[in-house]
Amino acid sequence: MSKKTLYAIFDDEEVLLESVKELRSQDFEITEVYSPFPIHGLDHALGLKETRMAITAFIYGCIGLTFGGLLIYYTMISGIGKSWPMNIGGKPNFYFYQNIPSFVPIMFECTVLFAAHLMSITYLFRNKLYPGATTKSPDPRTTDDKFLMEIKVEGSDFEIKKILTSTGASEINEKNIDHE
Amino acid sequence: MKTTKKYWKGLAQLNNDPIVENLAQNEFVEQLPVDEFLGDQENLSSTSSSRRDFLKFLGFSTAAATLAACETPIVKSIPYLVKPDEIIPGVANYYASTIYDGRDYASVLVKTREGRPIKIENNATYSNSRVQASVLSLYDSARLKHPLKDSKETNWRTVDLEIKEKLEAVNDGKIALLTSTIISPSTENLIKDFSKKYNNVEHVMLDSTPYDGVLNANMDSFGIRLAPTYSFDKANVIVSFGADFLANWMENEYATDYVKGRNPKSGRMSKHYQIETNLSLSGANADNRMQIKPSEQGFLISSLYDGIQGKTFDKRLSSIVKVLQSNLSKSIVISNSNDKNVQLIINAINQKLGNYNSTISINKPTNLKQGNANKLDNLLSDMKAGNIGAIITYNVNPSYSLAKATEFNEALKNVKLKISTSLYNDETASLMDYVCPDHHNLESWGDANPKYGKYSLMQPTISPLFNTRQFQESLLVWTSRSDYFSYLKEFWINKGVNWNKSLHDGFFDLKENKLKLKRFVDQSQSIKSKKSNTIELEIYETIALGDGCQSNNPWLQELPDPITRACWDNYLTISATTAKELGLSNWNVSNGALNGSLVDITADNLVIRDVPVMISPGQALSTVGMAVGYGRTKAGKAGNNVGFNAFPFLNTKSVTITKVEGKYEFASIQLHHTMMGRDIVKETTLAEYIKDPSSGNHRETYATYKGKLPSDQVSLYEEHDLETGHFWNLSIDLSSCIGCGECVISCQAENNVPVVGKEEVRKSRDMHWMRIDRYFSSDMTKELSKKEKLSAIDMFSEMEDPSEKPEVVFQPVMCQHCNHAPCETVCPVAATTHSNEGLNQMTYNRCVGTRYCANNCPYKVRRFNWFQYSDNDKFDFNMNDDYGKMVLNPDVVVRSRGVIEKCSMCIQKIQELKLNAKKSGQPIKDADAQTACASSCSTNAIVFGDSNNKDSEVWRLRNDERAYDLLDHLNVKPSVFYQTKIRNKA
Amino acid sequence: MHKESEIRDPLILGNKTYHDITRDIARPVEGKANKYWWILFGLSAMLFLWGVACIAYTIGTGIGVWGSNKTVNWAWDITNFVWWIGIGHAGTLISAVLLLFRQKWRMGINRSAEAMTIFAVVQAALFPLIHMGRPWLAYWVFPIPNQYGSLWVNFNSPLLWDVFAISTYFSVSVVFWYIGLIPDFAMIRDRMSSTISPMKKRLYTILSFGWSGRAKHWQRFEEVSLVLAGLATPLVFSVHSIVSMDFATSVIPGWHTTIFPPYFVLGALFSGFAMVETLLIIMRKVVNMEAYITIKHIEYMNVIILFTGSLVGTAYITELFMAWYSGVEFEQYAFLNRATGPYWWAYLSMMSCNVMIPQLYWIRKIRTSFIATFILSIFVNIGMWFERFVIIVTSLHRDFLPSAWTMFSPTFVDAGIFLGTIGFFFTLFLLYSRTFPVVAQAELKTILKSSGSEFKTRSHE
Repeated sequence: MSKKTLYAIFDDEEVLLESVKELRSQDFEITEVYSPFPIHGLDHALGLKETRMAITAFIYGCIGLTFGGLLIYYTMISGIGKSWPMNIGGKPNFYFYQNIPSFVPIMFECTVLFAAHLMSITYLFRNKLYPGATTKSPDPRTTDDKFLMEIKVEGSDFEIKKILTSTGASEINEKNIDHE
Repeated sequence: MKTTKKYWKGLAQLNNDPIVENLAQNEFVEQLPVDEFLGDQENLSSTSSSRRDFLKFLGFSTAAATLAACETPIVKSIPYLVKPDEIIPGVANYYASTIYDGRDYASVLVKTREGRPIKIENNATYSNSRVQASVLSLYDSARLKHPLKDSKETNWRTVDLEIKEKLEAVNDGKIALLTSTIISPSTENLIKDFSKKYNNVEHVMLDSTPYDGVLNANMDSFGIRLAPTYSFDKANVIVSFGADFLANWMENEYATDYVKGRNPKSGRMSKHYQIETNLSLSGANADNRMQIKPSEQGFLISSLYDGIQGKTFDKRLSSIVKVLQSNLSKSIVISNSNDKNVQLIINAINQKLGNYNSTISINKPTNLKQGNANKLDNLLSDMKAGNIGAIITYNVNPSYSLAKATEFNEALKNVKLKISTSLYNDETASLMDYVCPDHHNLESWGDANPKYGKYSLMQPTISPLFNTRQFQESLLVWTSRSDYFSYLKEFWINKGVNWNKSLHDGFFDLKENKLKLKRFVDQSQSIKSKKSNTIELEIYETIALGDGCQSNNPWLQELPDPITRACWDNYLTISATTAKELGLSNWNVSNGALNGSLVDITADNLVIRDVPVMISPGQALSTVGMAVGYGRTKAGKAGNNVGFNAFPFLNTKSVTITKVEGKYEFASIQLHHTMMGRDIVKETTLAEYIKDPSSGNHRETYATYKGKLPSDQVSLYEEHDLETGHFWNLSIDLSSCIGCGECVISCQAENNVPVVGKEEVRKSRDMHWMRIDRYFSSDMTKELSKKEKLSAIDMFSEMEDPSEKPEVVFQPVMCQHCNHAPCETVCPVAATTHSNEGLNQMTYNRCVGTRYCANNCPYKVRRFNWFQYSDNDKFDFNMNDDYGKMVLNPDVVVRSRGVIEKCSMCIQKIQELKLNAKKSGQPIKDADAQTACASSCSTNAIVFGDSNNKDSEVWRLRNDERAYDLLDHLNVKPSVFYQTKIRNKA
Repeated sequence: MHKESEIRDPLILGNKTYHDITRDIARPVEGKANKYWWILFGLSAMLFLWGVACIAYTIGTGIGVWGSNKTVNWAWDITNFVWWIGIGHAGTLISAVLLLFRQKWRMGINRSAEAMTIFAVVQAALFPLIHMGRPWLAYWVFPIPNQYGSLWVNFNSPLLWDVFAISTYFSVSVVFWYIGLIPDFAMIRDRMSSTISPMKKRLYTILSFGWSGRAKHWQRFEEVSLVLAGLATPLVFSVHSIVSMDFATSVIPGWHTTIFPPYFVLGALFSGFAMVETLLIIMRKVVNMEAYITIKHIEYMNVIILFTGSLVGTAYITELFMAWYSGVEFEQYAFLNRATGPYWWAYLSMMSCNVMIPQLYWIRKIRTSFIATFILSIFVNIGMWFERFVIIVTSLHRDFLPSAWTMFSPTFVDAGIFLGTIGFFFTLFLLYSRTFPVVAQAELKTILKSSGSEFKTRSHE
């Protein structure tokens, strides 16, 4: 049985979207789509799961808030087991709440700092994006104006090619993967 | 004889074996492979190390060697070989001694550390800023380091030999001894001995500011040529005609008594009238002040005399006359006039009022002023005539400080032998054949008899820094004796003085036989009023420099004048109106600094060119004032060519002033002179105060859930505990503070405050930890503007210019040590924090220098090190001088560039106090708690102590009705507080 | 795929295709610089070097080489700091807030606006550093565990809040910016041929982090951008609020004002947009982006400037009213002194540049003219600098005790450092404009169909 990968190239994102829907409706598995810009509705069409980036951001934010709070509590508030709290301008530093107005700004900044940075790092990590990584895109034009659909097929690809051409693929290239 | 002997090395050689020959041929059994090595190319080229490598190796090894050569600089600290048992490193020793430089007298305690005098504290008497600063003059590198002959270095042996024989050679004329007023009995004795040896010695005494008027008048009235002692504390009324007795007139001890006599608590407060030309310190403190031209003074005084005799008199004096008559024998009338007749009237007035033996004691006279102008004139004419064979000067600088200096210098040429004993190679010394440099007071033995029955001793607190010799010692040597110390000791022991005790105390009293006074007869002739419409001149001395003998002292040069607040200068003071008439002005440049226009001053044959004009409120119309003590040319790097010399005008009465082109740049640390209607210095009158002690001390109250409360009881915070342990507070009494600036110098000495020089002061970057703000009253007030319906803009702009007849207030301001300090909260690195003893602490080595604290300080008392002020040739003052550095207080760090500094309330003193208390196991005594400013304050206006100690003075003051916090609406809860100023005026 | 009203003017001029956009955006990077670029670059580089010299002199000698004194301890240093921080606000606002509000027109300019933000913040961050007496100890403002154990920073100090706020704002802006840049770098990477310019190719390969534009990546990309925008928006408002607290939390009359946070933020947006205009109007010429930075963009920004400018004006009036209404004599004098004291001229130039001149934008002709906008934007920049000068210097130079009152005048070093930062700023921006995709092309392509002129016209038929 021959395995191969089809690369269908489209000139317009709407056309691509139609074709994707068509193929999916006929239970063909679309491996990947490469596009120069985000196409709205594509992720649903491809049946991708919701991303959880926002949730991670929230968690990281909470961590940041806690970190800021604890740091200030340890350094500024008097009491056993703390660092060396000092009388600064007579401000009450016996309990955290007494002095909290001066602590709000930095706790807020810590929240944002952690959320933004850790989320971005997670994003790069999940996408395997890092300096020096090479592109996985089979066709360099996908960052310019072409939209590429990647389909792995076993056996006959006649059906698929038909649908693709009918749905307006401008060109179809294929790559054979020999038996392993 | 030539030997043919041949030694053979072996049988083989003996029987000429060829092998020997071969061996001899090639000494090296096998050829060295030199050629092979150098010759064979690929061998060479194959070696990996190229020429570049070689250079690399070379470079590396050089670098390595250099690095290896580097090592941390060695700081030599030499331990005592035999430790003097009174010196414990790190612990200060105090020695009682005396400061007398021919002008200022004070009995002092000298604080020494590791054998270095570093601070002067008051002992029996009170001192002034010049005495406080004299410790720095000790370390003045401009002092003479060895005797001079014809201004070339020499040694004492030659000097003594030559001088002695030359003195003996003097036969065709007198030996003149020109000295300051001598108050040392032993020295007087020495001079007697000296005159005995060379029997034609003439001793002439000279005061830089002459008091002949007073002295001669007393000669006529009482038969003694001395000034009386005044008890200003006993007087109910003080009338001073131009005499600045709080600052420079006669003695510097009057201020203490003056303030003793003005204690509102007891309800007894003297009434002080000042009738003067320049606004003097006394005038600034007076209850009533009248501005007159110098020429009017004589007439007014004699008119006052008429008045109290019930004759007709000048109406301006009516209130004075009334008060004087109702306070018989409880008043003091003085005048700064140098005219005998005027002083005779003054004596007559005081006699008439019965002040003698009650407030003025002529039978207990002071010896501090004995200069004699007539004798000096005779000396001058003798010198001109060539009747003077030799002249020896001591403690005087006539070539600078005489009105007739040029005349004197001319006459000096006719003197064969000229000897100076000055500490410096000054204007006079530089004209002498021999200079035999004297010790500084702090290096000398000595004694003093400032006034009848009062004596004090002077002892060295450091071994002489330079190859100098005390004047008295020189006299002894020249009378072929030696050792002044044993001479002195003997002298007093013979008088039955307990030497050790007196030396320890520094002073002692001695029973003296009564002075014989002739009974008083009124010899005064009344003086008619004469109109003069010329511009009249009044010469004065500044607080800082006095007669200028310490001109080279940068502390004094940078001490702002209490009235004009300018330093590093003297100038022509003039009233705004007169200035306008003459087209003169002062103005501020873009960075706020003060500029003034220039004038030429001319009087008959005298002229000074390009004199800057300082517009000063309170100056009488069409009069000008000039300060002496400036314009030195041979004082040293700090003192040379600062200002101009006003001494030539000493006896000049009226001058002509002509505006010239150009401007002058002043260094004034206060550029704004009024309070702008703000409640900064609170004041009230005695009458009001007696009615209601808290009058004038209105305190804002704030509506709280507990009802209306004053600011110090309102707080959003849960307070930190300041009740347990100490709570250091400082009280400043604004009616006791006369603004003399002694505390400023004291603080500078105690806390190693740098001198920054004129240019920096001009840029408003003075470094003093405490300043004495001076405010003039303005003619515009809020009430007035309401009445005149002025807009706020007009009101404030008019408020900015002080009145021509101002009331003056002084307010010392240092760090207020707020317990809710604005500076502390804003420091990002917590470099300034609060101690649990109520102190605002500054951690220099944590400071990164954002200056946020200084911005947020409502009192603007924080100082920033804009540059490196120590060891920096751009700031070539005592901190850049190996000798000058010896005055630094080892307990206080010298601040580095880029950090903020400020008053620490002498934390080092507090720590020492606590440690001692801990060691002795005794609670701290209230009297022992002192800051530098408090301990030096002559009028006890500054009181320091522990407010948690309920029987401390400062606690009492804290709860006084007069106590108030500066800017209390800010509610920063300062540890420093003020007492309202009280004037004794209707 | 959402539609847009046809009445709206196109945001992309000329009949552009996706490829045209790609080509246009890549041109400055691939092509040679024109002579305007070189002239501007030369000038700004020289200014920059002069600034460096002045900073070196300051650090070597001491802050004393500035004009500050014991009363006016902050002057040009903090004035410039606040000014630059203010400028650094428009970028994030455009990219974040306008993104949340789904403002299409932001796409043409957000990349450059963000670049400007970052470069401006770099300038701003310089001043807190060099204004220190001992800058070599600057790291002490971070809560670093140290051998003293208990030596921490003071979390009560607004300056410390600044440290956190600015470093957060800076780093988050950079991240936000870069996340958006990755796909565009990828675009450039893919256009580079490894034979003609291998170096560039390698460079952009590294910069693009191996982006390939997969569907899942785009999905995450959009979410991350959205969340970052959400985080950056409060950040923008917090940063200048905190900067304003340096003054608001102090006791100095004229500083101690609760109105400061909103007032400063508005001022910041005001000056920020002005600077964006100044830059973009230059840039669209220098790297020919006329098609993407249209008069429409400029007009939108002018409207914002008009709006914020009027609000700032209101704030000024409110301040005066509050001073009068408070009845505190110190407060009253402080503001009277601002308007009528020795620094009246500064107050006047502030008022005229910030409040009066922007009112010209009510006129459509001016609002929609490049030249007029350019001139006015310069005025606004000047006015906002004076606003900070007025707040800082005139409040300090006459505070509570008249005895301490004095004045301030700058030295050549003060001026040199300020000019230096301007030089530095433009140097960075010009370099950016030649090496970065100056328009967010990936995003732009998404709106080509809705806002491109060609598609507009087509939809009219």
